[in-house]
Amino acid sequence: MTVPLSFYVAVSAGLFFIGCAGVLTRRNAVVILMCVELMLNAANLALVAFSRRFGAVDERGSVFVIFVFVIAAAEVAVGLAIVLSAYRNRPVIDVDEIHQMKG
Amino acid sequence: MRFDFVEPVVFALLAFGVIGAGAAVVLLNRVTASALLMALSFLCMAGMFVLLGAETIAAFQVLIYVGAITVLIIFGVQFTKQGGDRSYALFFQKQYPLAAALVAAVAIPVVLFAFSFNAPTPQPGGGDIRPLATSVFTDFAFAFEVASVLLLAAMVGAIVLTQRDEPPDGMRRRR
Repeated sequence: MTVPLSFYVAVSAGLFFIGCAGVLTRRNAVVILMCVELMLNAANLALVAFSRRFGAVDERGSVFVIFVFVIAAAEVAVGLAIVLSAYRNRPVIDVDEIHQMKG
Repeated sequence: MRFDFVEPVVFALLAFGVIGAGAAVVLLNRVTASALLMALSFLCMAGMFVLLGAETIAAFQVLIYVGAITVLIIFGVQFTKQGGDRSYALFFQKQYPLAAALVAAVAIPVVLFAFSFNAPTPQPGGGDIRPLATSVFTDFAFAFEVASVLLLAAMVGAIVLTQRDEPPDGMRRRR
């Protein structure tokens, strides 16, 4: 017996909302980056599930997952670089304390 | 003897790992523990990809997410001083019940709607590397090149952002 597609989509939606709640409620910049990674991973699960259950012979959905991997790697590298350079400027990691660019 | 019950049981364990570790990332106050639990969540997600028959994606998931991104984030945690994260929210400063109701009003219908999907037939197993490689290097060849340029730009950008802006010795002596 195979697991129905709906269960995969439900897990994906649940993980996405957990990551969304983390981005909205946490203050630590590194934790916010982690929660963004969780959301990207939830989207990956939905892409792979639909690609494997509905897709034709070519794995179009999985190709997009590869590109999401690339985007995630670039995002976390640049994000951590920004966090580190802001931290070097003023040693706070709390996103509410980083308000030099506030108008 | 059939082993029909194995796949649902494995799926339940992996789903528990993904959701539980993800919730712990958000709820825990210790940032290093959050980073390691995020790696656990990614690992369980790789198991789900294997269950779906996407073995190549699972291998990439372990290499990139569990390997590279987790190490990068743990480095970010270690380079910054982690005082205890203050627990009040970014946008909803004192309106936790309102925020919870709002999120639930969006999240619960979406998750229920997610249960309404069903698929005609699962794809036959037997590896996905060949169709994946065919797609990447024929239809998506341009996007592949753009992605490589993006990675190069991100690498250069990260180096530029984190380098110390002290002038080198020769420049300093001239002043």
